[in-house]
Amino acid sequence: MSIVIKNLSCKYGAKTPFEKLALDGIDLTVREGESVGIIGATGSGKSTLLQHINALIKLQSGSVEVCGIDLTERKPDLKRLRKHIGMLFQYPEYQLFAETVREDVMFGPKNFGMKNEEAEDAARTAIGLVGMDWEEVKERSPLELSGGQKRRVAIAGVLAYKPDILVLDEPTAGLDPAGKKEMLDLITSLRQKTVSTVLTVSHNMDEIAAYCDRVVVLADGKKVFDTTPQELFYRDDLENFRLQKPHVVHIVELLAQKGVVLPHVLTEEALEDALLTYLRERRGK
Amino acid sequence: MTRNVAFGQYYPTGSVIHRLDPRTKLFAGVVFIVCAFLASSYWAYLICYAFLFSVVLLSKIPPLQVLKTVKAVLAIVVVSVLINLFFYDEGTVLFSWWKIKITDGGLLYAGKMVLRIMFLVLSTSMITLTSTPTELTDGLEKIMTPLKYLRFPVHDVAIIMSIALRFIPTLMEETDKIIMAQKARGASFDHGGIVARAKAMLPILIPLFVSAFRRADELALALDARCYNATEARTKMKVLRFTWADLTAFLVLTACLTITALIYAGVIPL
Repeated sequence: MSIVIKNLSCKYGAKTPFEKLALDGIDLTVREGESVGIIGATGSGKSTLLQHINALIKLQSGSVEVCGIDLTERKPDLKRLRKHIGMLFQYPEYQLFAETVREDVMFGPKNFGMKNEEAEDAARTAIGLVGMDWEEVKERSPLELSGGQKRRVAIAGVLAYKPDILVLDEPTAGLDPAGKKEMLDLITSLRQKTVSTVLTVSHNMDEIAAYCDRVVVLADGKKVFDTTPQELFYRDDLENFRLQKPHVVHIVELLAQKGVVLPHVLTEEALEDALLTYLRERRGK
Repeated sequence: MTRNVAFGQYYPTGSVIHRLDPRTKLFAGVVFIVCAFLASSYWAYLICYAFLFSVVLLSKIPPLQVLKTVKAVLAIVVVSVLINLFFYDEGTVLFSWWKIKITDGGLLYAGKMVLRIMFLVLSTSMITLTSTPTELTDGLEKIMTPLKYLRFPVHDVAIIMSIALRFIPTLMEETDKIIMAQKARGASFDHGGIVARAKAMLPILIPLFVSAFRRADELALALDARCYNATEARTKMKVLRFTWADLTAFLVLTACLTITALIYAGVIPL
């Protein structure tokens, strides 16, 4: 259940004045169980890369292989491919369409060939996974829910068909701080319970730092970094790539300037622990 | 948006034609349409096409790109050719089978029909290829200005038009996104009979309508918040100017129109 991308390039609007090279020779391998973050400035090709993984864009050059399905073949089995991948677009709540939450969440499972009862079971489980009450929401219209609830329903709609890889495009965009926190907790718990492989595109560095094992940085369609968050976010030249540091990293660096040297942590919890350890050691002396 | 560049969409080259006043181009559009219907003989068409071809050359747009715009009406062209071939029965019969007769008159008439439809499409798409939607609405607003005295809300109409044009690419992009999202959930749009296909469109159309209404609401709110008043006299960032190039274009267009009209009236025996 891995993704192997080799020398992938993609051009938009070829042979018109609007021609643009969106991806330029990308190599990327995502192994099972990894959580990979993809970051980069607007227009760096992140979304285009994601769309290739699900064969939503025609492959122009290079090769993509997802869960053993080779997309360079003339007619790859798209249904099987898309069943493997749970893809959540930006503002997924705008794709809700059915009259009831139940029908909307069952849309995916039914498309992938589940029978009615089976699909309803899957939908119930998925609504449970995103922390909602099935009996309470199943007959309601998805359009009358609150913003955060809509997004949960949209995620449930993807989880319901039991994908092996989760692909998220800006999962926390447009959510309030509490909603963001909930979303990150949800993704973390999903990784432990159901889908182990997660690919996230985000502008929010805190989010990437919080739950990704690996970070890939794109700039003008090229891969410029592919490393661990620790290594990337503690570099000095991030601004050259129009990237900001996560808040935690910023705090650690400010403290270091004041002579308080802490290990290179990435999450708020780890920073708290590091500070407590530091204080305890100082008191010990 | 860059994904599917629509036929007839603005194609910037910065040529003389692009820099013409949009009013000139709208006038040209009217002249072209009148010419297409006045042209009565192949000679008249030759003149019209020669004129159109020189406009294409001047615009520096690859001729093939212009020709592609005909694709949209190809079906209409084919149908009109067939109808004219089979149902025009003046002239000598060239071929007959069962109830179908093809005459030389029909052949000539069908040929003219093709030339006429193609001329209409090519010439009008030359306007949209060389001017941005904003320029066109500005031009239209200026042309309609006299209607103000008849209490016709010229500026309102212009604003409505430019907003509508402005949102076409946005909604296209939105449609693209929704299609991708539903495809990712396993939806397929090219299987089954007509009913199944129509049903498959619902997951796209409903979110699209919802978002169009949401956008309209937000836009109305934003206009209100800035105390926007469409009826007030507003100044333009780009003031339209009538230049020597426009005057030349006007003269040439008038000449083209006159020649075609004279041929039609039989004054010039072509």
